[in-house]
Amino acid sequence: MVTYSVGMDDDDAVFRALADPTRRLLLDRLYERDGRTLSELVGEQEEMTRFGVMKHLRVLESAGLVVTRRAGREKLHFLNPVPVRLIHDRWISKYAERQVSALAELKTELEDTA
Amino acid sequence: MSAAAVTTPPVTTTQVYQVFIRATPEAIWEAITNPDFTEKYFYGARNEYTDSRRLSKGPDGQLYGDEEVMEYDPPRRLVHGWRSLYSPEMAAEQPSRVTWEIAPQDGGYCLLTVVHDQLEGAPKTAESVSGEGWMMVLSGLKTLVETGAPMAG
Repeated sequence: MVTYSVGMDDDDAVFRALADPTRRLLLDRLYERDGRTLSELVGEQEEMTRFGVMKHLRVLESAGLVVTRRAGREKLHFLNPVPVRLIHDRWISKYAERQVSALAELKTELEDTA
Repeated sequence: MSAAAVTTPPVTTTQVYQVFIRATPEAIWEAITNPDFTEKYFYGARNEYTDSRRLSKGPDGQLYGDEEVMEYDPPRRLVHGWRSLYSPEMAAEQPSRVTWEIAPQDGGYCLLTVVHDQLEGAPKTAESVSGEGWMMVLSGLKTLVETGAPMAG
């Protein structure tokens, strides 16, 4: 599967998946209660067709944000927060550190010239 | 059941976590089962496994976990019991189960899956491991295996 090998370690797939409000809503639904079937998720999205929910779940799955497991005859969808954590580690904390160190430098500079 | 039970949010009894790691199954197995590695990403815990027992010890040697190993199949599959002995409140709950699966993929990657289930009798444990719990362990494990360095902070 093409999307699989590309999305394997790819921030793009995660950012793209998170860029859509409906997909974020689906993640929130799974956060509230994990391990749901497609029908359960469709039932909560009143304005969306089964096909629409399925399509969005596929994007979330190829980004690694949703993992599916079989339980008997049912396919359950689970929220996988690990890619979000990796994005956080790679991007957010990096810039947060830079901001902190920039402020620290500014403080030193101001105090030295004072 | 009492009325209180109705308003309680449904307990998640199965949790699934996945991460792709650029490493061999053997290297990932080593990171999971060698206490010198686990203490770098598993909240400081030294986790030791035999084919029948899992021991997890905190930095001062205190017992974090002491459970049966149900499946020990290096470097693919490890199944063991879980009780959170690091917290008296959670230790009093029913034991649950953790399954590690390492599945080789194309391009030198493996997909590591952790399933924490049978959490029906351990709602506090379920809540605790679902927040930062497993997420931090798996992201830390990936960083350690791929770069050789523990996550800063």
